[in-house]
Amino acid sequence: MVKLLRLFVIIHTVLLATACGTKTSGNDGAFRVALLTPGPISDQAWNSSAYKGLERIRDSLGAEISHIQTKTPAEFEENFRQYGAKGYDLVIGHGFEFQDAAQRVGPEYPNTIYVTTGGSGTGPNIAALSFAFDEPSFFAGIAAASVSQNGVMAVLGGTELPPVKSSFAAFEAGARSVRPDIQILTAFIGNWDDAAAGKEQALALMSRRADVIFQNADAAGLGAFQAVRERGKAWIIGANADQNQVAPEVTLGSVVIDLPHAFLLVAREVQDGSFTPRVVHLDTKSDVVRWVPNPSVQVLSKMVTDHIDGLRAQLIAGTFTLPMASAP
Amino acid sequence: MDALAALWDGAFGSAFAIWSATLVRATPLLLLGLAVALAFRAGLLNIGAEGQLLMGAVGASAAALSLGTAPRAIVVLAMLAAGATGGALWSGIAAWLKRRFGVLEVISTIMLNFIAAALVSWLVRGPLQEPTRIYPQSSTFSASAHWPFLIPGQRLHLGFAIGVVLALVLWWWFERTAGGFRVRAVGAGARAAASAGGVDVASTVMRVFLVSGAIAGIAGAAEVGGVTWALYEGLSPGYGYTAIAVALLARLDPRWIIATSIFFGALEAGAAAMQRDAQVPAVVVQIVVALVVLGVLAVTALRDKQMAQRLAVDAE
Repeated sequence: MVKLLRLFVIIHTVLLATACGTKTSGNDGAFRVALLTPGPISDQAWNSSAYKGLERIRDSLGAEISHIQTKTPAEFEENFRQYGAKGYDLVIGHGFEFQDAAQRVGPEYPNTIYVTTGGSGTGPNIAALSFAFDEPSFFAGIAAASVSQNGVMAVLGGTELPPVKSSFAAFEAGARSVRPDIQILTAFIGNWDDAAAGKEQALALMSRRADVIFQNADAAGLGAFQAVRERGKAWIIGANADQNQVAPEVTLGSVVIDLPHAFLLVAREVQDGSFTPRVVHLDTKSDVVRWVPNPSVQVLSKMVTDHIDGLRAQLIAGTFTLPMASAP
Repeated sequence: MDALAALWDGAFGSAFAIWSATLVRATPLLLLGLAVALAFRAGLLNIGAEGQLLMGAVGASAAALSLGTAPRAIVVLAMLAAGATGGALWSGIAAWLKRRFGVLEVISTIMLNFIAAALVSWLVRGPLQEPTRIYPQSSTFSASAHWPFLIPGQRLHLGFAIGVVLALVLWWWFERTAGGFRVRAVGAGARAAASAGGVDVASTVMRVFLVSGAIAGIAGAAEVGGVTWALYEGLSPGYGYTAIAVALLARLDPRWIIATSIFFGALEAGAAAMQRDAQVPAVVVQIVVALVVLGVLAVTALRDKQMAQRLAVDAE
């Protein structure tokens, strides 16, 4: 036991010495931004586009950046604290699930601004980004209904989270606005990272005659792309990031949140000191969310795209609202 | 080198790292490690600490939410009791299945882990959901359900103290009492214990299973009471599985579990710092952590071998 302790002390001294020698970055006045993601940044969706946003902040604003992947609520809080203690200017928790942690940690580090993507909590140094993700989901529903031959479509989510559910409801409303009799199957994978399970679910949905699948499952959703690609005779729709290149030959389009754009908007305000804590609403009008048809497949008729473009213009002008309650 | 320095710094580099990161992460591992060790000592392969932790968290959350703003001592005690009950109920199912139908506990406890996780997901969207009914989580507990911190200004909470006391009690019980000896005897050879020692194996196994579950349940109560102050899905990153490594590395000795749980807590805290401060990707961090664990195992195995050789030489 004593020997162990001695070893411990030696390692400690050595490592601290080297750490002190190498640590040059610190509070030298640089603008510092941190990002916490709930999943891997290799998912080509929610998390990877957030990381692209962080990189955009580094490249455009010359910020020092840091990223960490976190799993549990306990980790959300611990890392919020660590970044606060290190004097980061802006800390982004990428998901509504970070809002409780922000509320708890925020007051302890008043010089750090905590922003959660999603959620609704605000405070003196706490803000939330809210995306009108259901607007482009509605358009995706219209486009999907126009290409479905079986009259059966499916929505496939990771887990039942509020933004996912409201996006699916908007997709359904959009589809029914042009084909009231269309049938829509709903399935959830149960997590956001099991691509094999995502593939299984997609295959099951296709065997129930669904010929358009709107997936929103990040890394698990990549399995659904795989399934549609192998099985064929169905279309898949990407979510969160522009996923049109994941499986270009079977992808109808993507419902995109331009996270780099959104992050840059906020970071710029924080850097020049003009940021006021609030729920920042980002929608079609601010061009942060959009429906992006896949340019490599030309299946949408001009009539359909014109219809969507028309609604989009009306939405921006304020003369059209989605026929359903908007998500928080 | 930078990355390793960050690993060390994040685990032990500051008061905050030790008292608010490393030991906080070690707390559930300590309690779960004890739960696993107790069961393993009796020859029971309880792989279900994960599910028992979740059910303990459910029990404690239900207690905290229903008692509201009652005095803190009462609420905390009720959470402890409810957590232990939740965990024991869950391990009790596996114990009953084993006794009644001879279902292998390895299988039943793993399956029960999945059911517990699904049950938590359902509860936070149903009976225990926060009142606005938007987010899949319970509302935040009132202040009287927040477990006391052990050191002012740091995050270390009551759960760790409970773990240390339990570890010492369990050690004493194993080494110095007839009950502890009986459990060890059952683990060493159930048939011999029954015929030569007259031990009632079935009921010993049953009791060990229940107590093991109760300890794991307390870990869940400590996690919601000491750290998160609300019930969430995805509460545990797999503590119940890490705890098996914690217990085995300590060779099922409760005293050593205190040390090994801190070791694993430090690794996790340090791993987070590697990502934050040295910008090492999460995947690489996991590899480094696994390598460190393998290294430690190799060193201990080597030492055992040398020790055995020395003993053999002495014997000659």
